[in-house]
Amino acid sequence: MTSWFVLGRRFSEWCAIALMLVLVALVYQQVRDVLEPSGMAEGGPYDNAAAYPRGVAMLLLGLVCLQIVLQIVVRGRSGGDTLTWHQLVRPAAVIVTFGLYLGLLGILGFHLASAPMLFAIMVTCGSRQWWKMAVISLGISLGFAWFFESQLDVVLPGGIFNLNIPW
Amino acid sequence: MLLDGLGLVTSFSTVTLVGAGLIVGLIVGALPGLGPLMGIILLLPYAITFPPVQAMGFLIAIYVGGSCGGAISAILLRIPGTPLAAATLFDGYPMAQKGRAADAIGIAIAASALGGVFGGLILILFSPSLAAFAAGFGPPEYAMLAITGLTSIAAVSGHSMLKGLIAGTAGLLLATAGTDEFTAAERFTFGLFELSNGFSIVAIVVGLFAISEMSHLLTGDDLLDRPKLSTARPGFGTVLLVLRRWPNLIRSSTIGACVGALPGAGGVISSFTAYAVAKTFSKSDERYGEGAEGGIVAAESANNATAGGALVPTLALGIPGDAATAVLIGALLILGVFPGPTLFEQHSDIVGGVFLVYMLANIALFVIGILVTPLFVHVLRLRKVVLIPTVLLMCAIGTYAVSSSIFDLWVMFAFGLVGLVLRAGGYPLAPLVIGVILGPLLENNVRRTLLLSHDGLSIFIERPVSATLLFINIALLLCVVFFTMRRLIAGRHSDLSQEDT
Repeated sequence: MTSWFVLGRRFSEWCAIALMLVLVALVYQQVRDVLEPSGMAEGGPYDNAAAYPRGVAMLLLGLVCLQIVLQIVVRGRSGGDTLTWHQLVRPAAVIVTFGLYLGLLGILGFHLASAPMLFAIMVTCGSRQWWKMAVISLGISLGFAWFFESQLDVVLPGGIFNLNIPW
Repeated sequence: MLLDGLGLVTSFSTVTLVGAGLIVGLIVGALPGLGPLMGIILLLPYAITFPPVQAMGFLIAIYVGGSCGGAISAILLRIPGTPLAAATLFDGYPMAQKGRAADAIGIAIAASALGGVFGGLILILFSPSLAAFAAGFGPPEYAMLAITGLTSIAAVSGHSMLKGLIAGTAGLLLATAGTDEFTAAERFTFGLFELSNGFSIVAIVVGLFAISEMSHLLTGDDLLDRPKLSTARPGFGTVLLVLRRWPNLIRSSTIGACVGALPGAGGVISSFTAYAVAKTFSKSDERYGEGAEGGIVAAESANNATAGGALVPTLALGIPGDAATAVLIGALLILGVFPGPTLFEQHSDIVGGVFLVYMLANIALFVIGILVTPLFVHVLRLRKVVLIPTVLLMCAIGTYAVSSSIFDLWVMFAFGLVGLVLRAGGYPLAPLVIGVILGPLLENNVRRTLLLSHDGLSIFIERPVSATLLFINIALLLCVVFFTMRRLIAGRHSDLSQEDT
């Protein structure tokens, strides 16, 4: 298998570094654009709401720089767990499905969105026993709804149709 | 203190919740890919609908049951349900191969229960003393203590100490989002009123651990497989097999409780350490690794005693020992209970209640574990194709249930993606959660210290406890630097030898 199809630990390490750098950048951007103009980034320990996060962000930046040096210097040991892109297709599909479900939850409501989500994930996982999957999806969805709505008095999202079962 | 708590524990609902928590814990422990932490996370939204002692009884029972449940799949399937049961596999599976699966499971459950009771005694004996000692702490001591909690968990993050430290620091930063307690200014909310109280701890924990774990399970090829298992019915008499090895039991439980009390050093370290020590002290006729009963006793008693040890700093200081106790602290905070010395002074009934539910959970573990093991064997037959979507639905509904917020669901989803990236990059997730939990404690006490000292930092070395903790922190950081440098040098040598080749 060519290296193009292998997702090494090194690539993931750089993604994590990027994530940390974005976090640090967001702190500095917010301090400069929001806290400084409102006068919250000056004064002593009581008044200065920006000093502590800025200090922690600076520390994080220092640690990340150290990690970058380590990653560059120890370049021969990227090893670790490697995954093929092919292996990532299924988790990616499930995450997209789950994200779609969260997006639809507020529109369709829990009862209309949950069972299709469960069904879709089972299909993504490779199951093809359609009737069994449909029964399991409906059963799990209704079981959870009963437990949370009738036992814990949680009002689940009803969506635009305001669908809630009066248990 | 125990008498104060007795009234809260002797209710029917508390006992029922402890029993239910144990069953849930044993199930999530037995199912490969879940575990006690996941069980606590998924049931947290349900637990916080109860008063503090009942909620803690339920969650602690999951913790206790989950720490033991992994042994069942380790013995029957040769797959530890949780990393905690990895050492149990060495002797448990060979015992099962010799036709003694029921005995192996019985020994694991009995040793877990007895080890847990030992850990509970450590908890009851030491946490009040530690809390009394900590009652004199001021802001400098608390600030240093929070840093110690964070650096020590980073220091035991295996070969990725620096990554542990980075994750912990990122957690501290995430905890700053929301309303500043001193000035009431909104920080890092991006104009979203949903972020006024910061990120929901439930959303963070569920996203980081559950979503990333489910995605990890999805990379496997065994999603449709149903494990083939024979039924195992252990008997109550197996407790005698454990008691016959009482020196091993006491020694391993002591190791477990002591290791558990150290922030960051969890059940995995304690069970392997106890197993190694038991092997060293074993008689020549006991063949460890080939089905020795002593091996199971050592590993299981140690990992359950760890839970008791981990609760000592959690309750007495408000400093979590691992990710599971960090979530327990999160639950207490949601319920309006603040762990630490003041909890022991002002709410001795709650502290006593927590001690008692912990003991009750361990005693009940033996009875429930032995009785319902055949049920867990059926649960182990559950296919991942059903398990994964069920857990994902539970993540969504559980996170939503805490504050009926769709926004929290998106926070959970975002942290799920963050967890995936960090996990793939080899970053431990527990320090991040501990950073989020300790963040407010650290910031408040750092700012209070600076107010007390009029901006000078010398106050940290003028006070003996604070200076000692500072010294420990420096030592831990030097450890991180030393091991990072060693890795760097080893990496250079490896590169050079590869070039030579």
